[in-house]
Amino acid sequence: MLKFLRRNFAGYAFLSPWLVGFFLLAIGPILASLYLSFTKYNVVRPPQWIGLEHYFYMFEFDDRFKKALQVTFTFVVISVPLKLIFALGVAMALDKGIRAIGWYRALFYLPSILGGSIAVAILWRQLFNYEGVVNSVLSLIGIQGPYWLADPDYALWTLIVLAVWQFGSPMLIFLAGLRAIPQDLYEAAEIDAAGPVKKFFAITVPLLAPVIFFNLVLQMIEAFKSFSGAFIISGGSGAPLDSLLFFTVYLYNEAFSFLRMGYASALAWVLLLIIALFTIVAFWTSKYWVHYENERG
Amino acid sequence: MNKLNRRHFLGASGSVLALAAMGRPAFAQNTQIRHFWWGNPERDKRTFAVIDIYNEKTPGVTVVGETLGFADYFTKLTTQIAGGNMPDVIQQGYGVLFEYIANGAVVPLDEYIGNSLDISKIDQSAIDAGTVDGKFYALSIGANSHMAMYNTRMFEEAGVVPGETFDPYAYTYDELAEFAATIKDATGVPGTDDNTADYQNFSDFVVQKGAMLYNEDGSYGPTQEIVEEYWSTWEKIRNAGGTPPAQETAGLAGVSELSQMGVVTGNTAMTYLWSNQLVGVQSLMEDKLGVATYPNTPDMVPGSVIQPSQFVCLTRDSSDPEAATAYMSAFVNDLEMTKVLGLERGIPSQSEVRAALQPDLTEVEALSVEYFDKIQGSTAALPPPPPSGSNEVEQTFERLAVAVLLEQRSIPEVASDFLRQANAILRRA
Repeated sequence: MLKFLRRNFAGYAFLSPWLVGFFLLAIGPILASLYLSFTKYNVVRPPQWIGLEHYFYMFEFDDRFKKALQVTFTFVVISVPLKLIFALGVAMALDKGIRAIGWYRALFYLPSILGGSIAVAILWRQLFNYEGVVNSVLSLIGIQGPYWLADPDYALWTLIVLAVWQFGSPMLIFLAGLRAIPQDLYEAAEIDAAGPVKKFFAITVPLLAPVIFFNLVLQMIEAFKSFSGAFIISGGSGAPLDSLLFFTVYLYNEAFSFLRMGYASALAWVLLLIIALFTIVAFWTSKYWVHYENERG
Repeated sequence: MNKLNRRHFLGASGSVLALAAMGRPAFAQNTQIRHFWWGNPERDKRTFAVIDIYNEKTPGVTVVGETLGFADYFTKLTTQIAGGNMPDVIQQGYGVLFEYIANGAVVPLDEYIGNSLDISKIDQSAIDAGTVDGKFYALSIGANSHMAMYNTRMFEEAGVVPGETFDPYAYTYDELAEFAATIKDATGVPGTDDNTADYQNFSDFVVQKGAMLYNEDGSYGPTQEIVEEYWSTWEKIRNAGGTPPAQETAGLAGVSELSQMGVVTGNTAMTYLWSNQLVGVQSLMEDKLGVATYPNTPDMVPGSVIQPSQFVCLTRDSSDPEAATAYMSAFVNDLEMTKVLGLERGIPSQSEVRAALQPDLTEVEALSVEYFDKIQGSTAALPPPPPSGSNEVEQTFERLAVAVLLEQRSIPEVASDFLRQANAILRRA
């Protein structure tokens, strides 16, 4: 042990800022929240152990918990595929060797930089307001737009559009993946008289599968954790009629509006398990559709 | 003597930087008092001015003001409680104060009375309102009541004359339905906000119906019939045509910023708020405001109460309670400071301060005072403080009322759903 330390001391010393941050600011709070999820804790009074009670309550009685799951699943299932399709489409368009491509890449990536910010969420709220830009444009072509944000049937769609608009980072990854596909495969296909659709499904998709998979997992996790847009646009409460009650918004409300830190911690752990479950399922199915070049067999 | 904690360190290094910038050394030992309130632009301007006056008068003590909108105020306070760094002096309202007392975040003031804290000229009713279990916790800044504020220009244009067309201190929901529609026809602007999702109006209505919001045992007071009747009353007003489209109202459910209120945005001619907000609302408007009570049923049972608008309280995290309570004392007693505050937080509860303000009230402040004179004797008794969980019941009401507005479910259905959830919340709290 001592020898090990002496030999690697310098390495760990250089690592220490990261290690300290990891244990103090990541692992520590994570374990603390696991403990708190078994307690009743309102911040002001010390936590009080109640075992699994929060978890039972959640699944048995909590209607808003179920509503939050439903909203979040809907959001993930619709926004992630749309975003990936959009990102792939733009990446393929940019892959054609246009002039000043660097500018376009930067331009398309811009929304992703701005995306998570509060400013964009507020801007979005203005755009989709009843008297906002979107409805003004619609009225030019004779359509009276709905109350996007006040109508439970439309509110979630404004957030899905916001999510899809931030397609920048999957697009960049797709672009890199497309560049890695050998051009001679396309040339060979062309000699065999394959059309663009055939080339896309027979060459691009299979060779891009690892990249698609990577983007899928990443974007899925991101979508489950999505918070700031829903928080700002719904005024912090998930309104109207809980149609924007993302899981994270509900968690935030329980923790900071109603001071149920213990229950909110339990919710956070359930979210973690759900994300883990979905990721595992994604990895498991990937055996059947993702093939790596260096794979044997 | 002085332990170096993070706040001191940051404060000290900050001032060192500031002094370095000014190129002038100073060595005065300074006590810092943090004062945190929720506000609006008008209140913030006045409160910072008052802090400047106090700092000028009191060498060795520096009061630092912090402010946020109402919606975020309690969230920030919560995180500060968790972090053990609450400001020394915080603002509280009658509704939530008692949860903070029960939790020990707000501490009693009894030991400072007569020393650093002078309450000798504060109204007894205000002292009673801040007293729990025989201990005095909360210093009332002013008295408050529910108040409807209307745009006098629009009312005039429509020929709706207070005192003739309706009695601003005793008008019914039916009369409201009628003149609101008249205003809409004449000006194109809906005559009134739609209060379907407004808990303040609902709480008035409950008392007007002879019930209480919370029973003696802390259980929820309103019955299925009362909730249903409240929502159908507003449905009738809506159907008469004098309110904004239901979806527009739904989009504003639970919104508390004054700048979003119908009378301020010009989307309606009348909005229902607290009387102390009159000064703040008028400062956001060009047209002159008129005032009225909330509407009532034909029986005219009083539904509104007069209660402290806000309190200043001492927190358990205060590092120098003596200096903090001295500042609180000046905040309600000092004539120079209270003159700047005016009536923005309600009618002051200190008799000398009231008398000193009287001669040079602004027009809108005089209106406030007149309103209070008029409603004396026709208000309801102050109910016991609401139980914990009441804040969540209120938010549940606002959320479910949207289903009524959008006609997603029938009124009886939503009403029973609301009562079921309200009772579950109170049981759980």
